[in-house]
Amino acid sequence: MPDSFEPKIVGFLCNWCSYAGADMTGTSRIPYPSNIRIVRVPCSGRVDPLYVLKAFQEGADGVLVAGCHPGDCHYGDGNLYARRRYALMRSFLDFVGIDAGRLRVEWVSASEGNRFAQVVAELTEQVRQLGPWAGLREGQQEAA
Amino acid sequence: MNHEIQDGIRIRARELLSLGEVGCVIGHERGPRGRVRPVFVHDAGDAGRLVWDQTCHHNLVVYLRDRAAPSRRGDAPLRAGIVARPCDVRALNVLIHEGQVARDQVFVIGVACPGMLAEEAEGAGGSLAEHCRRCKERVPLFYDALVGEPPPVDAVVDAWEDLAELEGSTPGERLAFWIREFDRCIRCYACRQACPGCYCFECLAEQVDPQWVSIAHRVPQKAFFHVMRAYHLAGRCAECHACDLACPMHIPLSLLNRKIAKEVKALFGYTAGADPTIPPPLATFRKDEELPL
Repeated sequence: MPDSFEPKIVGFLCNWCSYAGADMTGTSRIPYPSNIRIVRVPCSGRVDPLYVLKAFQEGADGVLVAGCHPGDCHYGDGNLYARRRYALMRSFLDFVGIDAGRLRVEWVSASEGNRFAQVVAELTEQVRQLGPWAGLREGQQEAA
Repeated sequence: MNHEIQDGIRIRARELLSLGEVGCVIGHERGPRGRVRPVFVHDAGDAGRLVWDQTCHHNLVVYLRDRAAPSRRGDAPLRAGIVARPCDVRALNVLIHEGQVARDQVFVIGVACPGMLAEEAEGAGGSLAEHCRRCKERVPLFYDALVGEPPPVDAVVDAWEDLAELEGSTPGERLAFWIREFDRCIRCYACRQACPGCYCFECLAEQVDPQWVSIAHRVPQKAFFHVMRAYHLAGRCAECHACDLACPMHIPLSLLNRKIAKEVKALFGYTAGADPTIPPPLATFRKDEELPL
């Protein structure tokens, strides 16, 4: 793969903490990789594993799911369900061949602008190392 | 031993049907070409059609869902008798827990299970199927009547040995493996139809608004279906291997379910259908748990 590979990363950010955290990154003028495409969701508990798989199928090289820190959920316990769901999902995706490094689940609060930038930078770098994701992606099978 | 079970099933079925305790008994009969197939016996005189041997691998619990609904509005639902092995009973337990079937609608004729024969060894007095060799359950979790004598339990060395080879390979190798396997899928959905846990009114594979997965006959779509189906069964799959046995293309689908079952056991200490007082693992949480993310 040429050096010009720029990973595409889809970020599902909860409206109350992580999306506001990403906003904080911007208003604080902290640079972070533009590889991430952000989808705002009401809660990390709203992120159906279907969304993650669909993102991988439709062209994402990596996926970030971010929500409020456990205990700080706007709805009380949405992120606690998400925590269980994605602990299972990560090892399962790894088992079907989607490297666990491509899916990251993080808790980012509204004040953690620095942390959001750091998470995105780390994930982007990791996915860059892993290379483009083509495995079960739409349209790639015939080409291979 | 199999004859004892078969006789026991016939006696029970005749008794239940003649006393009117159940409207039908769901069991197995021998088809015209010698293989067993599911049968619904409604009449005590037909109880002799019921057979049982170590090739009766259908999980009959899948037929209970339709029975649970009354045939006419206002009618009481038909009570059904069902022949069930230990794994079937755990699948039934999941359905009861999820409110799909009421316990008192079912009369469970539990089989003290000697295990099923491997498909290729059928009829030859051959060896047990791989998943039955690993199984330690001989007596169902619950039953209304038990037939057969519980056979001894062999020592199981490693309950997850079937996963070891794949788990030991690299993600790239695993991907290649699954692409090869899913490539054979013909999207007949036999796995879904055979599965007691797959009862969504509208399956995501057939949903058109939103359309999560198209009907294209290509690997990405097939993989999407199988991966999501397995994930929907997280903490619900009783590992009866009905999907494996139903698959005409011999895709080892239960590997997906087994991997999830293993993780569910390791992360949440949960076994599907084993204890209905514990909430399903993904429908609950503990505030202070440490999970690998």
